[in-house]
Amino acid sequence: MTVRTYVKSTLLASLVALALGGFLLHLRIHPFTHSPSKLIPFVSGLLSLVLVPLLFSFRKTLSYGYVLNGMLVILGTVAMAHFSISNWPKPVSVGAILLKTTLADIALLWGKFFVGKALFDLELYGYDRDQAKKGITCRYPNYGWWMVHLVVLSLVYYLGHLVWR
Amino acid sequence: MNKFRLFTRNWWVLHVIAIAFFFWLGHAVHLTIVP
Repeated sequence: MTVRTYVKSTLLASLVALALGGFLLHLRIHPFTHSPSKLIPFVSGLLSLVLVPLLFSFRKTLSYGYVLNGMLVILGTVAMAHFSISNWPKPVSVGAILLKTTLADIALLWGKFFVGKALFDLELYGYDRDQAKKGITCRYPNYGWWMVHLVVLSLVYYLGHLVWR
Repeated sequence: MNKFRLFTRNWWVLHVIAIAFFFWLGHAVHLTIVP
């Protein structure tokens, strides 16, 4: 086994473990129903568990896996942040924000994003430790590109919530 | 269709789908789950 295969397998296992954890946590919190609030986490969890690792496994579909993984993380972040804002802890304190909101869940979800990012970068740029990082921050596949998508999609979600009642 | 035109078309299709989906989601999610 090469180091590349070993590292790739480890990162894939991490992706599956995080996805499984999120999927089972959602099932524990609320059962699957046809309501979008419950259907979306169920479908997203299934996609994260099955499709994302599959897409990440092959070089030809690596980019699709990377984009799908990131978009599912954005979706989860926006929806869980909405949930926390709707059920804001009272009285508000730093402890309450840290422990009684979905901040912890969102942090775990971003862990899944960073694992996907590491897997994508290692596969795309290779395993040369001396290779310099290139590319413009705000362009695909760098962090700025994700930041723009997170902000814009959050705004679109908020508009849908605000305008279309 | 050349590669650039195909990429441009796919880019638009993906963005329209993503924006429509998130707009619908903002409308559709009713937070009735109480922890």
